[in-house]
Amino acid sequence: MIYFDNSATTPCLKKAAEIASEYMTEKYFNPAAAYAASVQTERDVSAARANIASLLQAEPSEVFFTSCGTESNNTALMGSLAAMHGRGRVIVSAVEHPSVYEAAIELRERGWDVQFAPVDMTGKVLLPELASLLTPDTRLVSIMHVNNESGAVNAIDDIYALMKRNVPGALLHVDGVQAFMKEAPVRCDMYSVSGHKLHAPKGVGALLVRKPVRVKPYLMGGGQESGMRSGTTNVPGIMAFSAAVSDFAEHREEYLDAMRGVKLRLYSNLSRIRDVRLNGPEPDKGAPHILNMSFMGVRGEVLLNALSEKGLYVSTGSACAAHKRGKNRILNAMGITGDRQDGAIRFSFSHFNTVQEADLAAQLIEEQVSLLRRFRRR
Amino acid sequence: MEKVLLVRYTEIHLKGLNRPYFERALVDNMKRALRGMEPVIEREHGRIYVRNISDENFAEALDRLTRVFGIHSVSPASAVDKDWETVVSAALSLMEERVKDAAPGTTFKVLARRSDKRYMYNSDTICRELGGRVLERFPGLKVDVHDPEIKLSVEIRDNAYVYCDEIKGANGMPTGTAGKASLLISGGIDSPVAGYMMAKRGLTLSAVHFYSYPYTSERARDKVVELTKLVSKYAGEIKLFLVPFTDIQMTIYEKCPSKETTVLMRRLMMKIAERIARGEGAMALITGESLGQVASQTLEALAVTNDAVSMPVFRPLIGFDKDEIMDIARRIGTYETSILPYEDCCTVFVPKHPVTKPRLEDLRASEAAVDFSDMIEKAIENTEIMTIK
Repeated sequence: MIYFDNSATTPCLKKAAEIASEYMTEKYFNPAAAYAASVQTERDVSAARANIASLLQAEPSEVFFTSCGTESNNTALMGSLAAMHGRGRVIVSAVEHPSVYEAAIELRERGWDVQFAPVDMTGKVLLPELASLLTPDTRLVSIMHVNNESGAVNAIDDIYALMKRNVPGALLHVDGVQAFMKEAPVRCDMYSVSGHKLHAPKGVGALLVRKPVRVKPYLMGGGQESGMRSGTTNVPGIMAFSAAVSDFAEHREEYLDAMRGVKLRLYSNLSRIRDVRLNGPEPDKGAPHILNMSFMGVRGEVLLNALSEKGLYVSTGSACAAHKRGKNRILNAMGITGDRQDGAIRFSFSHFNTVQEADLAAQLIEEQVSLLRRFRRR
Repeated sequence: MEKVLLVRYTEIHLKGLNRPYFERALVDNMKRALRGMEPVIEREHGRIYVRNISDENFAEALDRLTRVFGIHSVSPASAVDKDWETVVSAALSLMEERVKDAAPGTTFKVLARRSDKRYMYNSDTICRELGGRVLERFPGLKVDVHDPEIKLSVEIRDNAYVYCDEIKGANGMPTGTAGKASLLISGGIDSPVAGYMMAKRGLTLSAVHFYSYPYTSERARDKVVELTKLVSKYAGEIKLFLVPFTDIQMTIYEKCPSKETTVLMRRLMMKIAERIARGEGAMALITGESLGQVASQTLEALAVTNDAVSMPVFRPLIGFDKDEIMDIARRIGTYETSILPYEDCCTVFVPKHPVTKPRLEDLRASEAAVDFSDMIEKAIENTEIMTIK
């Protein structure tokens, strides 16, 4: 089996799974309880928070654990605006993940002036166009760090600087789910991350909220996470998350090189097939782990099924949107339509992948593409 | 007082000497629908009574019965002793519940039936007496014999039955009383509706699905299983045959004229389905075709498809518009599953410009030019069979 769908989710690191298990079966105490054992759990969670905060170049008190990337994104958008008075403009990019995009649609229902910032053919936000959308009543801008379909990396620091110049009162939220640990930390007001994209288990994420930004919580309860996110602390998830990112931090250069190596190798192999198109930035410029290519004259879903039978797992778009044929909002926004959209396949890598896999995968793809092209609509 | 479900049935009373056979089939189907609820089912003078259903199962039992073909309507009723005062008190307590939140001036009417002719009151008297007692207790109500908001019904039989609601059933004929047929099921909107409609006329169904492994996904397959399951809520147990069709499709694609591929594919599907149907003792095929809906459903194309088999082919949707079909799909609960967008075998290998007026001689010639017999054997051999209930 060759797993090239790491942007959907990654295998959990054995070490992270062991730690989660330890905190489920032995150190299972509720950190909110009063006895010594639970105090120790609380300290462990604090250490995990400090660890993740330092990797985000933030203070521990600025990091709040959530259940996933979607919750982090929803909290950032809905919660920060709920803490403001009045209404105004909200800008999100046209290629955001549904957890930002759908939240923006909901905000529009609630009377906010929601605008979508356009992107170029690679999926990167166009700065001049964004600048022209920044009106004085702009309250929030949400832009993803790495485009989960194309691997384009947005110039977040430039966007932040632009905003501080033109609309100093507005907040910048960044969906960092595909970028955390893979790209360097950026300047922003809020940043969302998710554990299972980095070899932690599913069910844990975090939101960085820079001081003094105010976010109104939407879960009411016992006041965990400094009142930001009530609900019994997910200790096993948090500890595993911390362990997984520590491992990544320790081997960061090596892991990034491994992913980039697989990506470049697969790209050069696939470029030899006729009638293929790259969707996204030049492979050496984009994120190290995402490659999107179109195989003209082949239906992405059919190719995906054929490859899956051969043990190669890929995606026809982010897993959250994979079942909406011809309506790939993200590729549409990038201007990738028709046959090129139909034939698009996303490959996403982790450091567990190897160049041998890239060679084998390319061979399988070439076989299936040429087989399927014999049966193209004529 | 006992809670019972009073079931009225449809056309069965038209069936003369066959009537006991239809009634037995209906009762069997009801028993199957109420599996696990230990129902006691009794037939009596054109009614069927379902007893012994526990309170927590009552609503579910009602729901299941309204999906059994042959049932005209179902009323949840209170069964009491025929003693007049007992009947009145059961009726009043039923009304109590009903008028609790009703606005003043709400209208009602009493309907009475009496099969026990020895009973102290005749139907008219029952209506008048009981109507009076209801007005006495609930002075805010008004009588309206033409268009009442509440219909309080009393039936005097071996017992007395009192009820207010009459919930519409699925109508039709009891499944199994009309024989067996095989449904060609695709995963779209039409074929489950076609299956539903023919099961409604009393047919027992089996279903045949063609898939293009590995080019269609496991989800597409799950979708067909789920659709079959939804149809089986009405039609009872369905044997589902999953036929691998990729080799045949690829051969057609490579060796036959491209604009004929769709019609040829359909001819071969019909042939295979007929083989499977015969093996099952089925005497007809059912498809979801509707005249002119797509290129393969023009009159010419249907004639060519029909020519591939000798069994009767039922096309219950032939004269329906897409909107009408979608309405039925929504009503029977298959629509939401049908519109899940997965590639199916009909969309993987299709020509851009299929012929809309195929000529039978051309198609027969194209088909004869390739020897499909081994591939058909192989497809049937590799068919997977599932029992869906």
